[in-house]
Amino acid sequence: MTTLSPRRGAPSSYRPDARNGMLAVPYLVPALVLYVGFVLYPLVDTVRLSFFSWSGFRTRPQDFVGVDNYVRLFTADPVFWRAMLNSVLWVALSLLVPMLLSLVLALALNRRMVGRNVFRSIFYMPAVFASITVAAVWRWIYNPTMGALNQLLDHVGLGGLAHEWLGDPSIAIYSIFAASIWQAVGFGLVLFLAGLQQVQQELVDSARVDGANAWHVFRNVTLPALRPTTAVVVVLTVINSLKVYDLVVGMTGGGPVQSTQVLALWSVTQSFQNHNVGMGSAVAVVLLVISLSLVVPYLVWSLRDNK
Amino acid sequence: MSSSIPSVRSGVRRRARPDWFRAGLWVALLLALIVWSIPFLVMVFTSFKANADAAASAPWLPPSEWHVANYADAARTGRLATTAVNSLIVALVKVPIGLAVASAAAFALSRLPFRGSRVLLAVIVVGSMVPVQIALSPLFTEMLNLGLLNSLAGLVLPYLAFGIPYQIFILHGFFSAIPVELEEAARLDGASTFRIFWRICLPLAVPALGALFILDFVATWNEYAIAQTLLQSQSNWTIPLAVQGFSTQYSTNFGPLNAFIIMSVVPVLIVYLLFQRSFVSGAFAGAVKS
Repeated sequence: MTTLSPRRGAPSSYRPDARNGMLAVPYLVPALVLYVGFVLYPLVDTVRLSFFSWSGFRTRPQDFVGVDNYVRLFTADPVFWRAMLNSVLWVALSLLVPMLLSLVLALALNRRMVGRNVFRSIFYMPAVFASITVAAVWRWIYNPTMGALNQLLDHVGLGGLAHEWLGDPSIAIYSIFAASIWQAVGFGLVLFLAGLQQVQQELVDSARVDGANAWHVFRNVTLPALRPTTAVVVVLTVINSLKVYDLVVGMTGGGPVQSTQVLALWSVTQSFQNHNVGMGSAVAVVLLVISLSLVVPYLVWSLRDNK
Repeated sequence: MSSSIPSVRSGVRRRARPDWFRAGLWVALLLALIVWSIPFLVMVFTSFKANADAAASAPWLPPSEWHVANYADAARTGRLATTAVNSLIVALVKVPIGLAVASAAAFALSRLPFRGSRVLLAVIVVGSMVPVQIALSPLFTEMLNLGLLNSLAGLVLPYLAFGIPYQIFILHGFFSAIPVELEEAARLDGASTFRIFWRICLPLAVPALGALFILDFVATWNEYAIAQTLLQSQSNWTIPLAVQGFSTQYSTNFGPLNAFIIMSVVPVLIVYLLFQRSFVSGAFAGAVKS
Protein backbone atom coordinates (compact mmCIF):
# COMPACT_ATOMS: atom_id res chain seq x y z
CA MET A 1 0.00 0.00 0.00
CA THR A 2 2.50 2.58 1.08
CA THR A 3 5.87 2.72 -0.51
CA LEU A 4 8.75 2.84 1.88
CA SER A 5 10.36 6.24 1.81
CA PRO A 6 13.99 5.71 2.68
CA ARG A 7 14.60 9.16 4.10
CA ARG A 8 12.51 11.24 6.41
CA GLY A 9 9.09 10.92 4.88
CA ALA A 10 6.59 9.73 7.44
CA PRO A 11 4.57 6.82 6.05
CA SER A 12 0.88 7.39 5.64
CA SER A 13 -0.01 4.95 8.40
CA TYR A 14 1.71 7.37 10.77
CA ARG A 15 -0.60 10.30 10.46
CA PRO A 16 -1.11 12.44 13.51
CA ASP A 17 -3.17 10.43 15.90
CA ALA A 18 -5.01 11.43 19.05
CA ARG A 19 -3.89 8.23 20.75
CA ASN A 20 -0.26 9.07 19.99
CA GLY A 21 -0.64 12.28 21.93
CA MET A 22 -1.26 10.34 25.14
CA LEU A 23 1.50 7.87 24.41
CA ALA A 24 3.98 10.64 23.70
CA VAL A 25 3.46 12.49 26.97
CA PRO A 26 5.89 10.57 29.20
CA TYR A 27 8.63 10.80 26.57
CA LEU A 28 8.18 14.53 26.13
CA VAL A 29 7.70 15.70 29.70
CA PRO A 30 11.36 15.81 30.86
CA ALA A 31 12.50 17.70 27.77
CA LEU A 32 9.55 20.09 27.91
CA VAL A 33 9.98 20.85 31.60
CA LEU A 34 13.63 21.74 31.05
CA TYR A 35 12.98 23.64 27.85
CA VAL A 36 10.05 25.66 29.11
CA GLY A 37 11.64 26.28 32.50
CA PHE A 38 15.11 27.32 31.45
CA VAL A 39 14.91 28.46 27.81
CA LEU A 40 11.40 29.60 26.96
CA TYR A 41 10.55 31.24 30.28
CA PRO A 42 13.77 33.32 30.42
CA LEU A 43 13.34 34.37 26.78
CA VAL A 44 9.77 35.52 27.39
CA ASP A 45 10.78 37.23 30.61
CA THR A 46 13.48 39.14 28.73
CA VAL A 47 10.79 40.47 26.40
CA ARG A 48 8.69 41.50 29.43
CA LEU A 49 11.63 43.16 31.19
CA SER A 50 12.43 45.20 28.10
CA PHE A 51 9.29 47.24 28.93
CA PHE A 52 10.38 47.87 32.51
CA SER A 53 12.94 49.94 34.30
CA TRP A 54 14.80 47.81 36.84
CA SER A 55 18.20 47.74 38.48
CA GLY A 56 18.25 43.96 38.73
CA PHE A 57 18.25 43.86 42.53
CA ARG A 58 15.48 41.69 43.90
CA THR A 59 14.49 44.19 46.53
CA ARG A 60 14.14 47.04 44.05
CA PRO A 61 10.83 47.62 42.20
CA GLN A 62 10.28 46.96 38.50
CA ASP A 63 8.62 50.02 36.98
CA PHE A 64 6.63 49.71 33.78
CA VAL A 65 7.88 52.26 31.26
CA GLY A 66 6.26 51.12 28.01
CA VAL A 67 8.49 51.45 24.99
CA ASP A 68 10.79 54.01 26.63
CA ASN A 69 13.74 51.61 26.63
CA TYR A 70 13.41 51.07 22.89
CA VAL A 71 13.09 54.79 22.21
CA ARG A 72 16.24 55.42 24.22
CA LEU A 73 17.99 52.51 22.56
CA PHE A 74 17.36 53.72 19.04
CA THR A 75 17.75 57.45 19.65
CA ALA A 76 20.10 57.96 22.57
CA ASP A 77 22.43 54.99 22.88
CA PRO A 78 25.48 55.39 20.63
CA VAL A 79 27.04 52.23 22.08
CA PHE A 80 24.06 50.21 20.85
CA TRP A 81 24.64 51.43 17.31
CA ARG A 82 28.35 50.70 17.63
CA ALA A 83 27.46 47.16 18.77
CA MET A 84 24.94 46.76 15.97
CA LEU A 85 27.48 47.93 13.40
CA ASN A 86 30.11 45.54 14.75
CA SER A 87 27.68 42.63 14.74
CA VAL A 88 26.73 43.35 11.13
CA LEU A 89 30.40 43.76 10.24
CA TRP A 90 31.18 40.45 11.92
CA VAL A 91 28.47 38.65 9.96
CA ALA A 92 29.66 40.16 6.66
CA LEU A 93 33.33 39.43 7.29
CA SER A 94 32.57 35.89 8.46
CA LEU A 95 30.71 35.17 5.25
CA LEU A 96 33.60 36.58 3.26
CA VAL A 97 36.87 35.45 4.82
CA PRO A 98 36.63 32.20 6.81
CA MET A 99 33.93 30.77 4.59
CA LEU A 100 35.85 31.29 1.35
CA LEU A 101 39.05 30.16 3.01
CA SER A 102 37.43 26.97 4.24
CA LEU A 103 35.97 26.30 0.77
CA VAL A 104 39.39 26.73 -0.85
CA LEU A 105 41.04 24.50 1.75
CA ALA A 106 38.34 21.86 1.33
CA LEU A 107 38.77 21.85 -2.45
CA ALA A 108 42.53 21.49 -2.02
CA LEU A 109 42.28 18.79 0.63
CA ASN A 110 39.65 16.85 -1.28
CA ARG A 111 42.35 15.23 -3.40
CA ARG A 112 44.61 12.44 -2.34
CA MET A 113 47.92 13.81 -1.13
CA VAL A 114 50.72 13.26 1.34
CA GLY A 115 49.78 14.37 4.85
CA ARG A 116 46.14 15.08 4.06
CA ASN A 117 44.96 13.94 7.47
CA VAL A 118 47.60 15.99 9.25
CA PHE A 119 46.52 19.07 7.33
CA ARG A 120 42.89 18.48 8.17
CA SER A 121 43.53 17.78 11.85
CA ILE A 122 45.62 20.90 12.40
CA PHE A 123 43.19 23.21 10.58
CA TYR A 124 40.30 21.83 12.59
CA MET A 125 42.03 21.70 15.98
CA PRO A 126 41.38 25.33 17.02
CA ALA A 127 37.67 24.66 16.61
CA VAL A 128 37.62 22.36 19.64
CA PHE A 129 39.24 25.01 21.86
CA ALA A 130 37.01 27.11 24.08
CA SER A 131 36.62 30.59 22.62
CA ILE A 132 37.69 32.05 25.93
CA THR A 133 40.91 30.03 25.62
CA VAL A 134 41.47 31.19 22.06
CA ALA A 135 41.05 34.72 23.37
CA ALA A 136 43.73 34.16 26.03
CA VAL A 137 46.15 32.70 23.45
CA TRP A 138 45.69 35.60 21.06
CA ARG A 139 45.99 38.20 23.77
CA TRP A 140 49.49 36.92 24.31
CA ILE A 141 50.19 36.92 20.57
CA TYR A 142 48.96 40.52 20.36
CA ASN A 143 50.90 41.69 23.44
CA PRO A 144 52.32 45.06 22.32
CA THR A 145 55.86 44.59 23.58
CA MET A 146 56.53 40.87 23.86
CA GLY A 147 53.81 39.32 21.75
CA ALA A 148 54.65 37.14 18.77
CA LEU A 149 53.03 39.37 16.16
CA ASN A 150 54.88 42.60 16.87
CA GLN A 151 58.13 40.72 17.47
CA LEU A 152 57.72 38.93 14.16
CA LEU A 153 57.06 42.18 12.32
CA ASP A 154 60.12 43.70 13.97
CA HIS A 155 62.19 40.67 13.06
CA VAL A 156 61.43 40.83 9.35
CA GLY A 157 62.02 44.59 9.21
CA LEU A 158 58.38 45.63 9.24
CA GLY A 159 58.56 47.08 12.72
CA GLY A 160 56.72 50.12 11.43
CA LEU A 161 53.60 48.00 11.11
CA ALA A 162 53.66 47.02 14.77
CA HIS A 163 50.54 48.07 16.60
CA GLU A 164 48.67 48.01 19.83
CA TRP A 165 46.47 45.43 18.18
CA LEU A 166 43.87 45.34 20.92
CA GLY A 167 44.46 48.84 22.31
CA ASP A 168 43.78 50.85 19.18
CA PRO A 169 40.03 51.51 18.84
CA SER A 170 40.21 51.69 15.06
CA ILE A 171 41.61 48.17 14.58
CA ALA A 172 40.78 46.20 17.75
CA ILE A 173 37.65 44.61 16.29
CA TYR A 174 39.64 43.37 13.28
CA SER A 175 42.30 41.93 15.56
CA ILE A 176 39.62 39.94 17.39
CA PHE A 177 38.18 38.87 14.06
CA ALA A 178 41.57 37.53 12.95
CA ALA A 179 41.57 35.24 15.97
CA SER A 180 38.08 34.08 15.05
CA ILE A 181 39.26 33.17 11.54
CA TRP A 182 41.93 30.95 13.09
CA GLN A 183 39.25 29.28 15.17
CA ALA A 184 36.41 29.08 12.64
CA VAL A 185 38.00 27.85 9.43
CA GLY A 186 38.09 24.21 10.52
CA PHE A 187 34.33 24.11 10.98
CA GLY A 188 33.55 25.22 7.43
CA LEU A 189 36.35 23.02 6.13
CA VAL A 190 34.81 19.90 7.61
CA LEU A 191 31.35 20.73 6.29
CA PHE A 192 32.62 21.51 2.79
CA LEU A 193 34.74 18.35 2.74
CA ALA A 194 31.66 16.33 3.63
CA GLY A 195 29.68 18.16 0.95
CA LEU A 196 32.34 17.39 -1.64
CA GLN A 197 31.82 13.68 -1.02
CA GLN A 198 28.45 14.14 -2.70
CA VAL A 199 29.92 15.46 -5.94
CA GLN A 200 29.52 12.63 -8.40
CA GLN A 201 32.89 11.62 -9.78
CA GLU A 202 31.28 10.35 -13.02
CA LEU A 203 30.00 13.85 -13.74
CA VAL A 204 33.46 15.30 -13.20
CA ASP A 205 35.02 12.62 -15.41
CA SER A 206 32.55 13.00 -18.25
CA ALA A 207 32.89 16.79 -18.17
CA ARG A 208 36.65 16.36 -18.48
CA VAL A 209 36.32 13.92 -21.33
CA ASP A 210 34.16 16.53 -23.06
CA GLY A 211 37.08 18.90 -22.75
CA ALA A 212 36.04 21.04 -19.79
CA ASN A 213 38.92 22.69 -17.96
CA ALA A 214 39.30 22.75 -14.19
CA TRP A 215 37.43 26.04 -13.82
CA HIS A 216 34.49 24.84 -15.89
CA VAL A 217 34.25 21.63 -13.93
CA PHE A 218 34.27 23.62 -10.70
CA ARG A 219 31.75 26.15 -11.96
CA ASN A 220 29.29 23.72 -13.55
CA VAL A 221 29.65 20.50 -11.60
CA THR A 222 31.24 21.01 -8.19
CA LEU A 223 29.64 24.29 -7.22
CA PRO A 224 26.02 23.27 -7.99
CA ALA A 225 26.56 20.03 -6.05
CA LEU A 226 27.82 22.05 -3.10
CA ARG A 227 24.77 24.29 -3.00
CA PRO A 228 22.95 22.59 -0.07
CA THR A 229 26.18 22.49 1.94
CA THR A 230 26.86 26.13 1.18
CA ALA A 231 23.37 27.12 2.30
CA VAL A 232 23.95 25.36 5.61
CA VAL A 233 27.39 26.89 6.11
CA VAL A 234 25.98 30.35 5.39
CA VAL A 235 23.15 29.96 7.89
CA LEU A 236 25.38 28.52 10.62
CA THR A 237 28.02 31.18 9.99
CA VAL A 238 25.46 33.97 10.38
CA ILE A 239 24.00 32.43 13.54
CA ASN A 240 27.45 31.89 15.05
CA SER A 241 28.42 35.45 14.20
CA LEU A 242 25.45 36.81 16.14
CA LYS A 243 26.51 34.65 19.09
CA VAL A 244 30.02 36.13 19.28
CA TYR A 245 30.68 36.94 22.91
CA ASP A 246 33.46 34.91 24.54
CA LEU A 247 36.16 36.12 22.16
CA VAL A 248 35.32 39.77 22.77
CA VAL A 249 35.01 39.30 26.54
CA GLY A 250 38.33 37.50 26.64
CA MET A 251 40.29 39.90 24.47
CA THR A 252 38.95 43.41 25.08
CA GLY A 253 35.78 43.22 27.17
CA GLY A 254 34.18 45.52 24.59
CA GLY A 255 36.81 48.24 24.82
CA PRO A 256 38.79 50.30 24.15
CA VAL A 257 36.11 53.02 24.36
CA GLN A 258 33.38 50.47 23.43
CA SER A 259 34.93 50.07 19.98
CA THR A 260 34.57 46.27 20.07
CA GLN A 261 31.07 46.07 21.51
CA VAL A 262 28.73 43.51 19.96
CA LEU A 263 25.00 43.08 20.63
CA ALA A 264 25.25 40.01 22.87
CA LEU A 265 27.92 41.63 25.06
CA TRP A 266 26.23 45.04 25.25
CA SER A 267 23.04 43.37 26.45
CA VAL A 268 24.87 41.55 29.25
CA THR A 269 26.95 44.64 30.14
CA GLN A 270 23.85 46.81 30.47
CA SER A 271 21.99 44.25 32.58
CA PHE A 272 24.75 43.09 34.89
CA GLN A 273 27.41 45.78 35.05
CA ASN A 274 25.36 48.93 34.52
CA HIS A 275 22.39 47.51 36.46
CA ASN A 276 20.05 48.63 33.74
CA VAL A 277 18.10 45.44 33.08
CA GLY A 278 15.44 47.21 31.02
CA MET A 279 17.94 48.56 28.52
CA GLY A 280 19.90 45.32 28.49
CA SER A 281 16.70 43.39 27.78
CA ALA A 282 15.79 45.77 24.97
CA VAL A 283 19.15 45.05 23.32
CA ALA A 284 18.50 41.33 23.86
CA VAL A 285 15.09 41.59 22.20
CA VAL A 286 16.62 43.30 19.17
CA LEU A 287 19.12 40.43 18.97
CA LEU A 288 16.30 37.92 19.41
CA VAL A 289 14.29 39.45 16.56
CA ILE A 290 17.33 39.44 14.25
CA SER A 291 18.13 35.82 15.15
CA LEU A 292 14.57 34.60 14.67
CA SER A 293 14.22 36.34 11.33
CA LEU A 294 17.19 34.29 10.14
CA VAL A 295 16.53 31.03 11.94
CA VAL A 296 12.84 30.57 11.21
CA PRO A 297 13.13 30.49 7.38
CA TYR A 298 16.04 28.04 7.73
CA LEU A 299 13.98 25.75 9.96
CA VAL A 300 10.98 25.89 7.68
CA TRP A 301 13.26 24.88 4.80
CA SER A 302 14.98 22.22 6.84
CA LEU A 303 11.84 20.55 8.23
CA ARG A 304 9.65 21.06 5.19
CA ASP A 305 10.13 17.69 3.48
CA ASN A 306 8.77 15.96 6.56
CA LYS A 307 5.13 16.32 5.57
CA MET B 1 42.23 13.65 -10.37
CA SER B 2 44.11 13.22 -13.61
CA SER B 3 44.64 9.57 -12.81
CA SER B 4 40.93 8.93 -13.12
CA ILE B 5 40.93 9.74 -16.82
CA PRO B 6 42.72 7.21 -18.93
CA SER B 7 45.14 9.32 -20.91
CA VAL B 8 44.46 8.28 -24.45
CA ARG B 9 46.46 10.88 -26.29
CA SER B 10 49.69 12.61 -25.45
CA GLY B 11 49.91 10.92 -22.10
CA VAL B 12 53.23 12.47 -21.17
CA ARG B 13 52.18 16.08 -21.34
CA ARG B 14 48.88 15.47 -19.65
CA ARG B 15 50.54 13.82 -16.74
CA ALA B 16 53.27 16.42 -16.30
CA ARG B 17 51.06 19.47 -15.88
CA PRO B 18 48.88 18.32 -13.00
CA ASP B 19 52.01 17.25 -11.15
CA TRP B 20 53.31 20.80 -11.09
CA PHE B 21 49.90 22.03 -10.08
CA ARG B 22 49.78 19.48 -7.34
CA ALA B 23 53.21 20.43 -6.03
CA GLY B 24 52.26 24.10 -5.98
CA LEU B 25 49.06 23.33 -4.17
CA TRP B 26 50.91 21.27 -1.62
CA VAL B 27 53.38 24.08 -0.94
CA ALA B 28 50.53 26.57 -0.57
CA LEU B 29 48.80 24.26 1.90
CA LEU B 30 52.04 23.79 3.79
CA LEU B 31 52.44 27.56 4.11
CA ALA B 32 48.89 27.87 5.39
CA LEU B 33 49.59 25.05 7.83
CA ILE B 34 52.66 26.86 9.16
CA VAL B 35 50.64 30.04 9.71
CA TRP B 36 47.94 27.98 11.47
CA SER B 37 50.51 26.23 13.65
CA ILE B 38 52.29 29.36 14.91
CA PRO B 39 49.80 30.03 17.74
CA PHE B 40 50.18 26.41 18.92
CA LEU B 41 53.95 26.68 18.72
CA VAL B 42 54.05 30.00 20.58
CA MET B 43 51.77 28.55 23.24
CA VAL B 44 53.86 25.43 23.82
CA PHE B 45 57.22 27.20 23.80
CA THR B 46 56.04 30.03 26.07
CA SER B 47 54.61 27.54 28.53
CA PHE B 48 58.13 26.26 29.21
CA LYS B 49 59.81 29.65 29.53
CA ALA B 50 60.75 31.41 32.75
CA ASN B 51 59.39 34.96 32.84
CA ALA B 52 62.72 36.58 32.04
CA ASP B 53 63.15 34.18 29.14
CA ALA B 54 59.65 34.92 27.83
CA ALA B 55 60.43 38.62 27.83
CA ALA B 56 63.84 38.26 26.23
CA SER B 57 63.53 35.57 23.58
CA ALA B 58 61.43 35.48 20.44
CA PRO B 59 58.04 33.82 21.16
CA TRP B 60 58.40 31.40 18.25
CA LEU B 61 61.77 30.10 19.44
CA PRO B 62 62.13 27.25 21.92
CA PRO B 63 63.05 28.23 25.48
CA SER B 64 66.74 28.56 26.32
CA GLU B 65 65.99 26.49 29.39
CA TRP B 66 62.92 24.26 29.68
CA HIS B 67 61.14 25.57 32.75
CA VAL B 68 58.83 22.67 33.55
CA ALA B 69 57.96 24.18 36.93
CA ASN B 70 55.52 26.53 35.13
CA TYR B 71 53.03 23.69 34.94
CA ALA B 72 53.04 23.00 38.67
CA ASP B 73 52.92 26.74 39.34
CA ALA B 74 49.97 27.23 37.02
CA ALA B 75 48.06 24.28 38.39
CA ARG B 76 48.40 25.70 41.90
CA THR B 77 47.66 29.35 41.06
CA GLY B 78 44.75 28.55 38.78
CA ARG B 79 43.38 25.86 41.14
CA LEU B 80 43.41 23.43 38.25
CA ALA B 81 42.41 20.38 40.31
CA THR B 82 39.26 22.02 41.70
CA THR B 83 38.11 23.57 38.45
CA ALA B 84 38.89 20.50 36.36
CA VAL B 85 36.91 18.31 38.75
CA ASN B 86 34.00 20.78 38.59
CA SER B 87 34.06 20.78 34.80
CA LEU B 88 34.30 17.01 34.70
CA ILE B 89 31.36 16.58 37.09
CA VAL B 90 29.23 19.01 35.09
CA ALA B 91 30.06 17.35 31.78
CA LEU B 92 29.65 13.78 33.00
CA VAL B 93 26.31 14.54 34.65
CA LYS B 94 24.98 16.79 31.94
CA VAL B 95 25.90 14.90 28.77
CA PRO B 96 24.32 11.49 29.48
CA ILE B 97 21.18 12.95 31.07
CA GLY B 98 20.80 15.39 28.22
CA LEU B 99 21.10 12.65 25.62
CA ALA B 100 18.56 10.46 27.43
CA VAL B 101 16.05 13.30 27.68
CA ALA B 102 16.61 14.36 24.07
CA SER B 103 16.32 10.78 22.75
CA ALA B 104 13.00 10.27 24.48
CA ALA B 105 11.60 13.54 23.16
CA ALA B 106 12.92 12.95 19.64
CA PHE B 107 11.38 9.48 19.69
CA ALA B 108 7.98 10.86 20.64
CA LEU B 109 8.16 13.62 18.03
CA SER B 110 9.19 11.32 15.20
CA ARG B 111 7.51 7.97 15.92
CA LEU B 112 4.36 9.10 17.76
CA PRO B 113 3.26 12.07 15.68
CA PHE B 114 0.27 13.90 17.07
CA ARG B 115 -1.54 17.08 16.21
CA GLY B 116 0.97 19.90 16.53
CA SER B 117 4.02 17.70 16.97
CA ARG B 118 5.82 19.32 14.05
CA VAL B 119 5.19 22.81 15.35
CA LEU B 120 6.43 21.67 18.75
CA LEU B 121 9.60 20.34 17.15
CA ALA B 122 10.18 23.66 15.41
CA VAL B 123 9.58 25.64 18.61
CA ILE B 124 12.08 23.46 20.46
CA VAL B 125 14.73 23.61 17.73
CA VAL B 126 14.60 27.40 17.58
CA GLY B 127 15.96 27.34 21.11
CA SER B 128 19.26 25.91 19.94
CA MET B 129 19.82 28.78 17.58
CA VAL B 130 19.24 31.96 19.56
CA PRO B 131 22.20 33.49 21.41
CA VAL B 132 22.11 32.38 25.03
CA GLN B 133 22.97 35.90 26.24
CA ILE B 134 19.36 36.91 25.50
CA ALA B 135 18.17 34.77 28.42
CA LEU B 136 20.94 35.43 30.94
CA SER B 137 19.36 38.11 33.08
CA PRO B 138 16.08 36.26 33.81
CA LEU B 139 18.07 33.04 34.22
CA PHE B 140 20.13 34.70 36.93
CA THR B 141 17.00 35.85 38.79
CA GLU B 142 15.37 32.44 38.36
CA MET B 143 18.35 30.61 39.85
CA LEU B 144 18.51 33.12 42.68
CA ASN B 145 14.84 32.45 43.47
CA LEU B 146 15.32 28.68 43.27
CA GLY B 147 18.31 28.93 45.61
CA LEU B 148 20.51 27.34 42.96
CA LEU B 149 22.70 30.32 42.15
CA ASN B 150 26.41 29.63 42.46
CA SER B 151 26.01 25.85 42.48
CA LEU B 152 26.91 23.19 39.97
CA ALA B 153 23.34 21.86 40.05
CA GLY B 154 22.11 25.31 39.07
CA LEU B 155 24.53 25.26 36.17
CA VAL B 156 23.55 21.81 34.91
CA LEU B 157 19.84 22.68 34.56
CA PRO B 158 20.24 25.47 31.98
CA TYR B 159 23.02 23.48 30.29
CA LEU B 160 20.55 20.62 29.83
CA ALA B 161 17.84 22.96 28.60
CA PHE B 162 20.05 24.74 26.08
CA GLY B 163 21.69 21.50 24.94
CA ILE B 164 18.67 19.31 24.19
CA PRO B 165 17.11 21.29 21.30
CA TYR B 166 19.99 20.58 18.92
CA GLN B 167 20.14 16.93 19.98
CA ILE B 168 16.40 16.53 19.46
CA PHE B 169 16.84 18.04 15.99
CA ILE B 170 19.54 15.51 15.04
CA LEU B 171 17.93 12.47 16.65
CA HIS B 172 14.56 13.33 15.14
CA GLY B 173 16.17 12.97 11.74
CA PHE B 174 17.64 9.61 12.68
CA PHE B 175 14.48 8.16 14.20
CA SER B 176 12.36 9.35 11.28
CA ALA B 177 14.55 7.42 8.87
CA ILE B 178 13.84 4.08 10.56
CA PRO B 179 11.57 2.04 8.27
CA VAL B 180 8.05 1.73 9.65
CA GLU B 181 7.99 -1.99 8.74
CA LEU B 182 10.49 -2.65 11.48
CA GLU B 183 8.19 -1.03 14.01
CA GLU B 184 5.05 -2.70 12.66
CA ALA B 185 6.67 -6.12 12.86
CA ALA B 186 7.61 -5.47 16.46
CA ARG B 187 4.07 -4.31 17.25
CA LEU B 188 2.63 -7.50 15.75
CA ASP B 189 4.91 -9.42 18.08
CA GLY B 190 3.32 -7.50 20.93
CA ALA B 191 6.15 -5.08 21.67
CA SER B 192 5.22 -2.06 23.79
CA THR B 193 6.00 1.50 22.77
CA PHE B 194 8.81 1.63 25.29
CA ARG B 195 10.26 -1.59 23.94
CA ILE B 196 10.23 -0.13 20.42
CA PHE B 197 12.03 2.94 21.71
CA TRP B 198 14.54 1.00 23.78
CA ARG B 199 15.22 -2.06 21.64
CA ILE B 200 14.71 -0.78 18.09
CA CYS B 201 15.12 2.97 17.80
CA LEU B 202 17.92 3.64 20.29
CA PRO B 203 20.25 0.88 19.05
CA LEU B 204 19.86 2.14 15.49
CA ALA B 205 20.79 5.65 16.60
CA VAL B 206 24.00 4.62 18.35
CA PRO B 207 26.29 6.27 15.77
CA ALA B 208 24.41 9.55 16.16
CA LEU B 209 24.38 9.23 19.95
CA GLY B 210 28.14 8.65 19.93
CA ALA B 211 28.80 11.72 17.82
CA LEU B 212 26.45 13.84 19.94
CA PHE B 213 28.14 12.62 23.12
CA ILE B 214 31.52 13.81 21.86
CA LEU B 215 30.25 17.14 20.54
CA ASP B 216 28.28 17.81 23.70
CA PHE B 217 31.19 16.92 25.96
CA VAL B 218 33.40 19.46 24.21
CA ALA B 219 30.66 22.12 24.11
CA THR B 220 29.93 21.65 27.82
CA TRP B 221 33.62 21.71 28.76
CA ASN B 222 34.04 24.97 26.83
CA GLU B 223 30.88 26.86 27.86
CA TYR B 224 31.59 30.29 29.29
CA ALA B 225 28.65 32.73 29.22
CA ILE B 226 26.18 30.83 31.42
CA ALA B 227 28.89 29.73 33.85
CA GLN B 228 30.16 33.29 34.16
CA THR B 229 26.66 34.46 35.03
CA LEU B 230 25.66 31.74 37.48
CA LEU B 231 28.88 30.79 39.28
CA GLN B 232 30.52 33.24 41.61
CA SER B 233 32.81 31.65 44.17
CA GLN B 234 36.07 30.42 42.78
CA SER B 235 35.63 26.99 44.33
CA ASN B 236 32.70 26.43 41.94
CA TRP B 237 34.44 27.70 38.82
CA THR B 238 34.63 25.58 35.71
CA ILE B 239 37.67 25.49 33.43
CA PRO B 240 36.73 28.41 31.11
CA LEU B 241 36.19 30.69 34.11
CA ALA B 242 39.57 29.66 35.49
CA VAL B 243 41.26 30.38 32.14
CA GLN B 244 39.69 33.82 31.98
CA GLY B 245 40.49 34.47 35.65
CA PHE B 246 44.10 33.43 35.18
CA SER B 247 44.46 35.46 32.03
CA THR B 248 43.15 38.67 33.63
CA GLN B 249 44.80 38.31 37.04
CA TYR B 250 48.21 37.01 36.00
CA SER B 251 48.35 38.40 32.49
CA THR B 252 52.09 39.04 32.75
CA ASN B 253 52.98 35.56 34.00
CA PHE B 254 53.29 34.37 30.42
CA GLY B 255 54.89 31.02 31.16
CA PRO B 256 52.37 29.76 33.73
CA LEU B 257 49.47 31.33 31.79
CA ASN B 258 50.30 29.34 28.67
CA ALA B 259 50.95 26.23 30.75
CA PHE B 260 47.49 26.62 32.27
CA ILE B 261 45.90 27.10 28.86
CA ILE B 262 47.54 23.94 27.58
CA MET B 263 46.43 21.91 30.60
CA SER B 264 42.89 23.25 30.19
CA VAL B 265 42.56 21.94 26.64
CA VAL B 266 44.08 18.51 27.26
CA PRO B 267 40.75 16.71 27.83
CA VAL B 268 39.09 18.10 24.69
CA LEU B 269 42.23 17.48 22.68
CA ILE B 270 42.29 13.84 23.78
CA VAL B 271 38.62 13.47 22.96
CA TYR B 272 39.18 15.18 19.62
CA LEU B 273 42.14 13.06 18.59
CA LEU B 274 40.42 9.83 19.62
CA PHE B 275 37.07 10.56 18.00
CA GLN B 276 37.85 12.81 15.04
CA ARG B 277 35.36 10.99 12.88
CA SER B 278 32.52 11.85 15.23
CA PHE B 279 33.16 15.56 14.82
CA VAL B 280 32.79 15.25 11.08
CA SER B 281 29.67 13.11 11.11
CA GLY B 282 28.13 14.99 14.03
CA ALA B 283 28.60 18.42 12.53
CA PHE B 284 27.40 17.15 9.20
CA ALA B 285 24.36 15.21 10.38
CA GLY B 286 22.87 18.30 11.93
CA ALA B 287 23.76 20.64 9.20
CA VAL B 288 22.84 19.06 5.94
CA LYS B 289 19.33 18.20 5.06
CA SER B 290 19.08 14.57 4.06
